[in-house]
Amino acid sequence: MTQFLSYAIPGLPYGCVFALMAVGLVLTYQTSGVFNLAYGAQAYASALIFYVCVNARWPSWAAFLAAVVVAAPLLGLAMDRLLYRFIRSAPVLVKLVSALGMLIAIPSVLQLIFGGQQRLAPPSLWLAPSSVYFHVAGDAINGTELSTVIVTLAVVLLASLMSHFTQIGLRMRAMAESPRMVELAGINSEMVGVGIWVLSSFLAGLAGVLLAPLFAELQALSFTDLLVAAIAAAALGSLTSLPLAFWGGIGLGVVQELLGGYLPSGSVLSSGLRPALPFAVLIVLLLALPGLRERWFHDDPLAGCDPPPPPMATTIGGHGLEGVLRGGGWVLIAAFFVSCLTWVPGNWTFTLTQGIAYSIVFLSIVLLSGMSGQISLCQASFAGIGAFTCAQLAGHFGVSVLVGILAGGAVAAVVGVVVALPALRLGGLALALATLAFGLLADNVGFQFSWSGNGDSGVNIPRPQLGSLNFTSGKAFFVLAFVVLGICTAVVLAIRQGTTGRELAAMRGSELAASSIGTNLAKLKITVFAVASCLAGVGGALYGSLQGTVSPNDFNSLLSLVFMVVVVTTGVYTVQGAIQAGMAYVILYQVLDYLPSEWRNLFPILFGLGAVTYALHPEGVVEWQKRRVVEIVVSWRTRAEASG
Amino acid sequence: MALLEGVNISKRFGGIVALDDVSVIIEHGEAVGLVGPNGAGKTTLFDCLNGVRRFDSGEVRLEGRRIDNLAVYERARLGIGRTFQRLELFSAMSPREHLMVAERVHRGDGRLWKDLIGRGRARLRVARVEELLCELGLETVADDPIESLSQGHGRLVELGRALVQDPLLLLLDEPSSGLDTRETSDFASVLLAVRARRHTAMLLVEHDLHFVRRVVERTYVLDFGKLIASGHLDEVLADPVVREAYLGEVP
Repeated sequence: MTQFLSYAIPGLPYGCVFALMAVGLVLTYQTSGVFNLAYGAQAYASALIFYVCVNARWPSWAAFLAAVVVAAPLLGLAMDRLLYRFIRSAPVLVKLVSALGMLIAIPSVLQLIFGGQQRLAPPSLWLAPSSVYFHVAGDAINGTELSTVIVTLAVVLLASLMSHFTQIGLRMRAMAESPRMVELAGINSEMVGVGIWVLSSFLAGLAGVLLAPLFAELQALSFTDLLVAAIAAAALGSLTSLPLAFWGGIGLGVVQELLGGYLPSGSVLSSGLRPALPFAVLIVLLLALPGLRERWFHDDPLAGCDPPPPPMATTIGGHGLEGVLRGGGWVLIAAFFVSCLTWVPGNWTFTLTQGIAYSIVFLSIVLLSGMSGQISLCQASFAGIGAFTCAQLAGHFGVSVLVGILAGGAVAAVVGVVVALPALRLGGLALALATLAFGLLADNVGFQFSWSGNGDSGVNIPRPQLGSLNFTSGKAFFVLAFVVLGICTAVVLAIRQGTTGRELAAMRGSELAASSIGTNLAKLKITVFAVASCLAGVGGALYGSLQGTVSPNDFNSLLSLVFMVVVVTTGVYTVQGAIQAGMAYVILYQVLDYLPSEWRNLFPILFGLGAVTYALHPEGVVEWQKRRVVEIVVSWRTRAEASG
Repeated sequence: MALLEGVNISKRFGGIVALDDVSVIIEHGEAVGLVGPNGAGKTTLFDCLNGVRRFDSGEVRLEGRRIDNLAVYERARLGIGRTFQRLELFSAMSPREHLMVAERVHRGDGRLWKDLIGRGRARLRVARVEELLCELGLETVADDPIESLSQGHGRLVELGRALVQDPLLLLLDEPSSGLDTRETSDFASVLLAVRARRHTAMLLVEHDLHFVRRVVERTYVLDFGKLIASGHLDEVLADPVVREAYLGEVP
């Protein structure tokens, strides 16, 4: 018993933080219909501001006021008023991508403002972290832990008193029940909505400040993990019940520490499974709770139905212009190929080859999200599976790297099928969260073994050789990558133009109608997941072979989110979109490399904000601009014809 | 042998009995109506017949063969076509593409490897599809984006999408909802023409009794999940039980 307590009690502070976040998430989801994935970034913002203020020798109460009472609600309110308010009734993909954009952009904006240096030993909110206050069951309770628990309990007590005994609290509770009924009862639901948004942002800020000192370093990544833990806790309450979400959070924190205590120490299982627990819980909940699934599925009548993209630029200018645009595209590709083999400097050829590898991975996102309407947030993990398979086969079994790349694709496809099996029953947001959790699991556990990604030290993949053909030089490898991309593009185009592609488009339009005309949705989804994972695996293996050494960090779960956002920004509906995204991704990165180091934060900011434009221009920035140019040309031509 | 038989179908949602021991029979080539007040269980019965919902007890037979363990898509392939009360169209596809994809699925052209070696890339125009577009009067809007079509055209696209697969039986779920008088009458004319040409059997859920009278030969009446009458529409409507349930008249 004592041992049990001594393991369980250190979990309480974590549990408190999870609980605060879970309650805040449920609050806003219930009232505004937006699943706020940027919530983790909001927590990070407050933690960072608190850190900066304390380092500037502000007293901690002043820093707390600035970070949690002022900055957090302001940030949340700004997001609601400027973004979420307009997309409440938008399709799931739009809401999700917009929130993802914010999740990725906000930490970078903050680092641009406050500098991106390492921030060690985040300060505790209230009691000194080093001093031990008392012992419970042999556990030394330090100031950080004690203050976290006390502050959480105080806030929750206050909030529940407020919600039960004040006018605004009553209205908020009514609003969480049914926004429309509140409106009908003559209450301005917008105002109550603002109140809820302020409260929830305050909770995020508080959770952020409380969580920070539990880690040795203040990093944006820890807050993404925190977000998923909070989602899992919220899922325990079926995303509707505040008390269940709260106790779910506490429970999750405690069980996490218990696992850490009872699992053999030093093994990958104990170091990996402990942080991975919330993700595993989330996956299990999504699969096991039918109520949860149906809720996400039926809540939003537009769920899974994407806005129709406007006509392609190539089709509105008539046949002459279409020919010019197509021809121009081929000339551009030929010029690119020749240039890379002749005058382009070696480091840029390397960069562009990276772009090709990414393009292949991005093709999988076009196939899954653009063509089939399925949202997967773990494509980087599939790329990792491809790379590590290739590395292990080449390293331990002497398999040729070219075969290894193919095998990487095949293994990724098999895992893709396994992931797709739950996807058959999930859709929209639930599928997105399940794949996100899978990515985090791969990150924290799957890729840490020596037989897979080998943890931080990574694995080696040599450049391939085929008989006398040697792809070790940069240019030779470029040609190889170019050919592989060509094949992958051809595959996706063939699927798109064939019956399967039409069935996928039908499924995206209406699953019900698609099955009523005889489409086997289960088979179709498994097929598309398999092909997409295979593409991602091949792209990942190619990337690994280009780099020579890759580690799980090259394919971490945050990268999956970035991939999604990048592709959606440039164009998720077309095959060109994937290639443009791959090139834009590496070129922008390389260009920012020439600039002062703080400017590198511009990268996530640009794509994060770009993702927000998805709500207005689902066809992507490139296609949107191309259409504008074509429209100008067409209007010139009509004017010239009219005057001539 | 009857084309479709629903035998003693019961379905509950929690405490609500949506269907209580309902049996229907549709013969080959026969047009049958299904009327009843809102919430009577008409759409639920449709869902049970074509497989969208599983029922608690009962049987569904198609030409004598039990099909109640088959999925929606399998029943569709056996010849049960369906339209929906709330339009279910494929966004961003033109009417022609709607018919094309249904035609290809019907032809069994959905193998991935066929696409990969380029064999799935069928000819852009398929005679059957073009014919049907003309028959339904959709040829002028065949390439317009589906979002720009009127509700009436949307209903016709749904009908065409089902018809292109040569169904044995068409389940039509309130085709007149959302249509004006003119569109409703046009839709009925199209249905009659389709029946004259193809002899497709139909089960029609509908509130517009003029519509029902024009199209069907006999009618079932459903109320609170129970079948309360069946027979010729005018006879059925004269039945005092039906008048009470449907028209709210107290005898």
